[in-house]
Amino acid sequence: MQNFRRFIKELRAYGRIMLLSVFLTLITATLSLPPPLVVKYLTDHLSTGALQNPSLRVNLIGIFGLLLGTACLSAFFGYWLSVCLTYLGQRFKLDMRRKLYAHMQTLSLGFFEKSQTGKLMSNITNDVAALDQLLSGSLITIVQDTVTLTAVLCILLYQNWQLTLVALIVYPIYILNYLAFIGKIKFTHHEMREQRDMMYGDLQEKLSGVQVVKSYAKERFEVRQFIGETRSIMDLNVRIGGMSTGLWTVAELIGAIGTALLLWYGGREVIRGTMTAGSLMAFYGYIGGYLYGPTLRLIQINDQIARANAALWRIFKTLDMQPNVNDVPNAQPLPPIQGSVHYDHVWFEYEPGQPVIKGINLEVKAGEMVAFVGQSGSGKTTLINLLQRHYDVTDGKILVDGHDIREVQLASLRQQVGVVIQETILFNTTLRENIRYGKLDATEEQIIAAARAANIHHVIEAQPKGYDTKIGEDGTKLSGGEKQRIAIARALLSDPRILILDEATSSLDSETEALIQEALDRLLAGRTSFVIAHRLSTIVKADKIVVMEKGIIREVGSHDELLALDGVYAGLYNQQFKVALEEHAA
Amino acid sequence: MDQIGRLLGYLKPYRKQVVLAVFLLLCVTCTPIAMPLVVRYTIDDVLPHKQWNALNHVFWMIIGLYAVRGGISFALNYLLGWLGQRVVFDLRFQSYRHLNRLSLSYYDTRQTGKIMARLTGDIDTIQYMVSGGFVTFLADVFSVIVLLVVLFLMQWKLAIAAVCVIPFYVLNYKLFIRHIRPLSEKLRERWDALLGILWEKLVGITVVKAFAREEFETDNVMQTIKDNFDLAMTQMKLNRKLGAFAQVIRALGTGLVLWYGGALILKRQMQIGELLAFNGWIASLYDPAVRLVDFNVTLQWAGAAVDRVFETLDTRPEIVDAPNAISVQEMRGAVEFQDVNFGYDGEHPVLHDINLKVNPGEMIAVVGPSGAGKTTFINLIARFYDIQHGKVLIDGIDLKQIRLESIRRQIGIVSQESLLFSVPLKENIRYGRKDATDIEVLQAAKHADLHEFILNLPQGYDTKIGEDGIKLSVGQKQRMSIARATLTDPRILILDDATSALDSKTEANVQMALERLLKGRTSFVIAHRLSTIMNADRIVVIDGGRIVDVGTHSELVARPGVYQNLYNEQYKSAREHSLEALLA
Ligand SMILES: Nc1ncnc2c1ncn2[C@@H]1O[C@H](COP(=O)(O)OP(=O)(O)OP(=O)(O)O)[C@@H](O)[C@H]1O
Ligand SMILES: Nc1ncnc2c1ncn2[C@@H]1O[C@H](COP(=O)(O)OP(=O)(O)OP(=O)(O)O)[C@@H](O)[C@H]1O
Ligand SMILES: [Mg+2]
Repeated sequence: MQNFRRFIKELRAYGRIMLLSVFLTLITATLSLPPPLVVKYLTDHLSTGALQNPSLRVNLIGIFGLLLGTACLSAFFGYWLSVCLTYLGQRFKLDMRRKLYAHMQTLSLGFFEKSQTGKLMSNITNDVAALDQLLSGSLITIVQDTVTLTAVLCILLYQNWQLTLVALIVYPIYILNYLAFIGKIKFTHHEMREQRDMMYGDLQEKLSGVQVVKSYAKERFEVRQFIGETRSIMDLNVRIGGMSTGLWTVAELIGAIGTALLLWYGGREVIRGTMTAGSLMAFYGYIGGYLYGPTLRLIQINDQIARANAALWRIFKTLDMQPNVNDVPNAQPLPPIQGSVHYDHVWFEYEPGQPVIKGINLEVKAGEMVAFVGQSGSGKTTLINLLQRHYDVTDGKILVDGHDIREVQLASLRQQVGVVIQETILFNTTLRENIRYGKLDATEEQIIAAARAANIHHVIEAQPKGYDTKIGEDGTKLSGGEKQRIAIARALLSDPRILILDEATSSLDSETEALIQEALDRLLAGRTSFVIAHRLSTIVKADKIVVMEKGIIREVGSHDELLALDGVYAGLYNQQFKVALEEHAA
Repeated sequence: MDQIGRLLGYLKPYRKQVVLAVFLLLCVTCTPIAMPLVVRYTIDDVLPHKQWNALNHVFWMIIGLYAVRGGISFALNYLLGWLGQRVVFDLRFQSYRHLNRLSLSYYDTRQTGKIMARLTGDIDTIQYMVSGGFVTFLADVFSVIVLLVVLFLMQWKLAIAAVCVIPFYVLNYKLFIRHIRPLSEKLRERWDALLGILWEKLVGITVVKAFAREEFETDNVMQTIKDNFDLAMTQMKLNRKLGAFAQVIRALGTGLVLWYGGALILKRQMQIGELLAFNGWIASLYDPAVRLVDFNVTLQWAGAAVDRVFETLDTRPEIVDAPNAISVQEMRGAVEFQDVNFGYDGEHPVLHDINLKVNPGEMIAVVGPSGAGKTTFINLIARFYDIQHGKVLIDGIDLKQIRLESIRRQIGIVSQESLLFSVPLKENIRYGRKDATDIEVLQAAKHADLHEFILNLPQGYDTKIGEDGIKLSVGQKQRMSIARATLTDPRILILDDATSALDSKTEANVQMALERLLKGRTSFVIAHRLSTIMNADRIVVIDGGRIVDVGTHSELVARPGVYQNLYNEQYKSAREHSLEALLA
């Protein structure tokens, strides 16, 4: 219920159009009232008894006109009502999706690591759609049916209250029946949605990982697994269907009892002469079409409300998620920086109690090239992720040009710190657009210059469509090294003051790498750069080489200093250059 | 739309249920016909003649009628719900199975988000149509036919009055639908595009954030959503106009019947009860017609969904087993390329005239500039793509003559980009061989130098690693893939740049374990760090899609060429520095 209250609050912005809708609903509801009265008129004027009485003239053309007139009016207003409703629903969907998506964008990486992309998708698509159904379908049905119900009840009570009460005798059973079913339906619904989300998540994962599935010839296994999941969803769905049908059928039956009672009791009155047959027919029409009908509909709506409730719950859960990394209230933008970086006793843990970075101290002067080496899993990527502030340090601080990065605006920091991440991610557009992502207003010349520096220009030119070639999802149509070079071009285009290359050239042959290195040296003269690489030839000329091990810094120094130290670095070096060194010695 | 017919074909296995459903449906449609009869009886016979007893009969008639109706309609709806779910289940299962059969080239050109949409949204839409709209539609068609018969039997003159507006209905429908249909299609396409974008940007969120592009992305997505909004509005308006006209036409019909019927009564050719019954019947006659309009919306969506699902089902996998394909049980591991030419799109060749004979147990290294075609080359061994010219032979048998599954089971591939699933570590390693014991999993992890790391995790081998292993470092992911591949004990192991994210020490540990493990097995190793591959039996140098040189490290280093250049480049700095160090 709390969810619904919040939902109503969200709806405030649409107050005007909702009012209009309600107003139109009132009109259409009123316009729907005449037909039973027409029946009454006809019955009373055309019954065998009445036909004997010549003083009763019947105006058939009037009836025809009345019916057609109300229908025209009702069609007109009904049309505008639908337009309002559609607009309301669609607009709401639009705004809600914007809100959700924009909110997701503000959340930090930690959130995305914990959520399956499929579920996030379904949040934005299915859940919001369920709300739209509630809004443009159910809510209006509720209003309309409530209006009709009250209006008709008044008419009926006024005409013959005893008969009305007879017709209403069955109402309590109606409600009991409803209550008996609804709890279970809601519960099953929830269960079903949950399972379905799970299936979607799995599905998405296996589809994006299809290469692995195929490599291991596991297609049949996957299909079997999938069957299991869908089958249980099917069973739940059938169960829900069964229960809803049950609810519905019993409700209809109860309605029938009411009608039967009405005809029986009303019939007696007519025979006694205390009521006309026409009134009975009007009653009959109103009860069937305007009393039980709406009640049935209201009952059916419950199904949708249950669904919407689950959707609301999920949507608000996402909206309530707070980014762990946030601008402090009065954060200033980071002024253009020189590029000095200071890690001051930095501690960090992804999961509580499992520190990954353990008290790192590191001073980097503006314009320096710092290289990180060290065992896989020692925390290199983590360390530079901290510099972009994807996570906040658990303890200690990171200063850029003397500014604590937690105290400046996030966007202004990230704009000045460019990164080529370890696992290249590209988008499914053209090569040009992918590179342009680094700087949206870049000119063609700038793009080409960046591509040249990343040594990918000639490859692009060789494509039949050049820069307009589409590269497939995540760049599937490119080789690993080509993807890396596009990512480098993208980062270069953004012209960062601090550039981070996290194994950005690992899939490149040394010759290509050397060419890029040369260009980088030229372009980045005076800029700070962080380079992570396992191929030591990439980093020998770094100003400072940082050797990491299990979250701490083991050694720092230039290549020669570290070799002289004869420690971890020297070990790695010898390992990698063993052959060459031997050959050289020979 | 003819695809709908094909969809109905999915009902074939449930013939009995369908026949039962149709029968029940017939019974149920009789109730709206019976009720007006009761009314007529009451008004014309019971009330004017003051039959108290008959009034009691009326009471029980109604109760009985609805009790029977309730029973039948419950059974019917349950059955239909079941049928709908069942068909959808079959369809979803078939689609997924088929998607699994399709070759990689299918996935190269499509966005995962869109493929997902086939299996989720589209099939849900179909389900909605099958068990919701479609059934109503069937019931409506039945009752319209039955009603027409009844009406004409009762009072043919009045029936004509009721029916004469139907052509207007049809006309109205035809006029509008022409404009609505293309819109629906477009709407669906936009929706698909939206899913694609959303998907990609959520997966690539790291990049979005790294470039501080959150606002740009939001605007971008909003633009697509806005397009959707505009289209949906236009479509809805048209639909509603269609509905509004239908309503007026309906009133016209009712008005005509009452007018003409009234006149008939005045002429004493009919009684009021009959007219009232007629009034009830024509409601049941026009209601379905109005509903048809709504059903049309469902049908539009579902029709498009059906089309797309069948389109997927009709895509033929490019790589299928030849009819007489054989299973190779114990592969020896000899691989031979004969005049292989290959291009991804058949137009732009990537590999040219590849000839290579690999003996069982050999370790072959593949080096060459980025984009030269190394990955492509080894992907052909596992037959991820079919070649246009030439042949690949395994153990002397043409790859195309061997059952795909039997090859892939015996080849272990560690691809350039590690792909892991969001299940526990243990299950990830076990993916290639589900029946491996815990001890074997542990062994595999040890070989990949991961055991120690895993033991240090609070949950050890049961740790969940997040979507695509996001909670691991890249080097750890690579080692996971290696562990996964070794567990299957492959006859041929392919390592595509699989140790690039490992430091040399870890790499050496892994390599040592692999060497022991793969004694006598053929292996292909791609690497850019030359120290990784120096002790390969043979090194194949690929440049521009051709094999330009083959030989051992010492042979290749000795002669000028691509390899020597790469070598010099990579060791230049080392030499210089060690020289300095020597001088110092
Ligand atoms: N699925 C694909 N569809 C179309 N073209 C592709 C596809 N995959 C690769 N290519 C193209 O084929 C060529 C060779 O790619 P391949 O991946 O074999 O290179 P590689 O030698 O492995 O390079 P790297 O060392 O950078 O990984 C590249 O130019 C690439 O753009
Ligand atoms: N999102 C995460 N959640 C939890 N743990 C993580 C996460 N990312 C990394 N880790 C853990 O933190 C440690 C350091 O990871 P990091 O990616 O920084 O290593 P790395 O030095 O870059 O290694 P590599 O050279 O293999 O890329 C690893 O043990 C890893 O398992
Ligand atoms: Mg890393």
